[in-house]
Amino acid sequence: MADDLNGTYHYPFPEAPEELVKFGDGAIEGRPAGVPSSYDEGGSLRWTPEAISEVHALAQLGRYQVRGYNTFNKRFPTFDDLTFVPATMTRLPLEGYRESCDTTTILGGGRGLVEKPLELKIPIYIASMSFGALSANAKEALGHGASKVGTMTCTGEGGMLEEERAASNKLVYQMSPARYGLDLDHLRRADALEIVVGQGAKPGTGGLLLGMKVSPRVSQMRTLPEGVDQRSTVRHPDWLGADDLAIKVEELRIATNYQVPIFLKMGATRPRYDVAIAAKVGVDVVVVDGAEGGTGASPELLLNHTGIPTISAIRAAREALDECGMSGKVSLVAAGGIRSGVDVAKCLALGADAVMIGNAAMIALGCNSPRYLDDYKKLGTSPGACHHCHTGMCPVGVATQTPELTARMDVAAGAERVARYLTAMTMEVTALAKACGKSNVHNLDMEDLRALSFEASAFTGVKMAGIDRAYGW
Amino acid sequence: MSSRYVIEVGNRHIKDVNEEIQAAAKAHHSLLVRNTLSRHNLGIGLPKGVDVAFEGSVGYYCGGLNTGAIVTVEDDAGWGTGEGMDAGHITIGGYAGMSAGAAMRGGTIHVRGDAGPRIGVAMKGGNIIVEGKIGSQAGFMAHAGKIIALGGAGASCADALWQGEVWVAGEIESLGVDAVVKEPTAEQVAEVDAILEPLGLVDSARNWRRIVSGQRLWYFESRDANAWLMI
Ligand code: SF4
Repeated sequence: MADDLNGTYHYPFPEAPEELVKFGDGAIEGRPAGVPSSYDEGGSLRWTPEAISEVHALAQLGRYQVRGYNTFNKRFPTFDDLTFVPATMTRLPLEGYRESCDTTTILGGGRGLVEKPLELKIPIYIASMSFGALSANAKEALGHGASKVGTMTCTGEGGMLEEERAASNKLVYQMSPARYGLDLDHLRRADALEIVVGQGAKPGTGGLLLGMKVSPRVSQMRTLPEGVDQRSTVRHPDWLGADDLAIKVEELRIATNYQVPIFLKMGATRPRYDVAIAAKVGVDVVVVDGAEGGTGASPELLLNHTGIPTISAIRAAREALDECGMSGKVSLVAAGGIRSGVDVAKCLALGADAVMIGNAAMIALGCNSPRYLDDYKKLGTSPGACHHCHTGMCPVGVATQTPELTARMDVAAGAERVARYLTAMTMEVTALAKACGKSNVHNLDMEDLRALSFEASAFTGVKMAGIDRAYGW
Repeated sequence: MSSRYVIEVGNRHIKDVNEEIQAAAKAHHSLLVRNTLSRHNLGIGLPKGVDVAFEGSVGYYCGGLNTGAIVTVEDDAGWGTGEGMDAGHITIGGYAGMSAGAAMRGGTIHVRGDAGPRIGVAMKGGNIIVEGKIGSQAGFMAHAGKIIALGGAGASCADALWQGEVWVAGEIESLGVDAVVKEPTAEQVAEVDAILEPLGLVDSARNWRRIVSGQRLWYFESRDANAWLMI
């Protein structure tokens, strides 16, 4: 018994006064001094300061909160949970500076159905972000930047912006459920069509554009009253299930005279089944957007608590295409949280044919750059921490429709930054591919990767580092 | 009528049928499409200045993305008739399936029989006239334009409208979210009568219900905008 422990030993000096044992000299009355105090620090893993302030916010607002940007959920396995294992004794590396590595990327030619599959010089293009969410200057800059390096952009759901069409050598025209500004002429002037079923940031819900951004031009393009909160429909108006969609795809092929590929974009939820169904309905390209994908505005709970990580979605999507014999016939594009050429290379190795960048391209344009500090402050944020695209008060002119702010988005400078960023990313991809002994970035595969965490291995099937076995189920 | 160019559908590939329709539309003013077998995707993206009649019934998306043609379907039509159309006039002799006029931007769709659910869903302009009853969720999120039902309307009529209007002369099973019935003014009735007049459908005895948005959902998210600045 613990009580017995104290019974037999006698100090060779008088017992210390209780006051000194308890550090009582000079301490706050009634508080044990020096004892690590849960009273001061808290420490509940459930009721963190963030969780408590969330309750306070809900209790005051009586509704969920809305914001832009992307997920703040920290528990995702990410691209950083994977590492490359370049050529050593079992294979030969290519000379990084001297030997070439092909980055040409063909999308939509696999079925042999369309006259003009997309040929991109690099495996990266600019994601679907609408005029409305982004300023016209930002859209135009993205178009020119992408054109300079031989890749493409996508309209997003706000209809075709003439500046963007003119700036983009190749442009994907998006057909969202809301069909804003849908126009046969625009369909025929596009280099590809994209049917949107969902997006990674908020799968299962439609677009959201708050009234602050529904400017006269946006309202005219979307046939909306100025200044209303545009909460787009999520179900397509004229098809419900896969069988209907197959007919819709045929209609779009007829409307565009079998010239251009048809994409289908989905948020990553059940890609193993969803991608197989998308392949079955007859589209040429499937875009899978992981939960790390960005958005201009969304109820925050959807950003943080819906969808699955991009790395896991790519594997499931590729296996789905393999299983139904559609790899090679249907191209796979991955998106969601891609920050660098390293992330791109990992997507390609996991099984993507190309990737699409949204947030990253906005950051290249100037999002979160340390300028106009007072304006960040007005938003209650600072450069590097801003996620206020929903407010329409973007300090750098990227995600706003306010003329004084959009003027800060210099088209020429933005285009050049985007072009340099895409160039640098592509160099990063080829550097890794060559180190892995690949003369074509599309030859990167699962064997070039190892997982640094159980989760990453379990989610992707990539072998664990060292032990060289995938987490077994 | 006798100089109509005739196109046979049957079991031909629908791509070939549409190519023939497009080519014929360049050379002839009047086309008759026969043996339609309720096939889908007949007459997609038709040009202005041609008159195309479909014998029998058609499947999905007939007259979809129309840019100005006059289209007549003898009997019934499947889903999405005239979806995304920009201009022109489509007449369905019988019943129109779900989502006729979905996301249309202009022109007129005239259904002589009843129409299925979600007619005029997400429409951005133009007019839809249904002589019979319209199905549930008619005009769901219609941005602009009018849906005019001479018969009744199904459940959730005029759900979540923007600036579209739904006019119903008969019984309404139930109204959709944020839909309100407004007494039409004499000028508004005259406007509707002007749409019905060329179709010979004016009847001054009608008891119109004009349904518009209550606008409660229009500012649903941004009403707490100031609070979000601090997120
Ligand atoms: S800087 Fe602009 S684009 Fe970037 S997060 Fe803030 S509001 Fe959004």
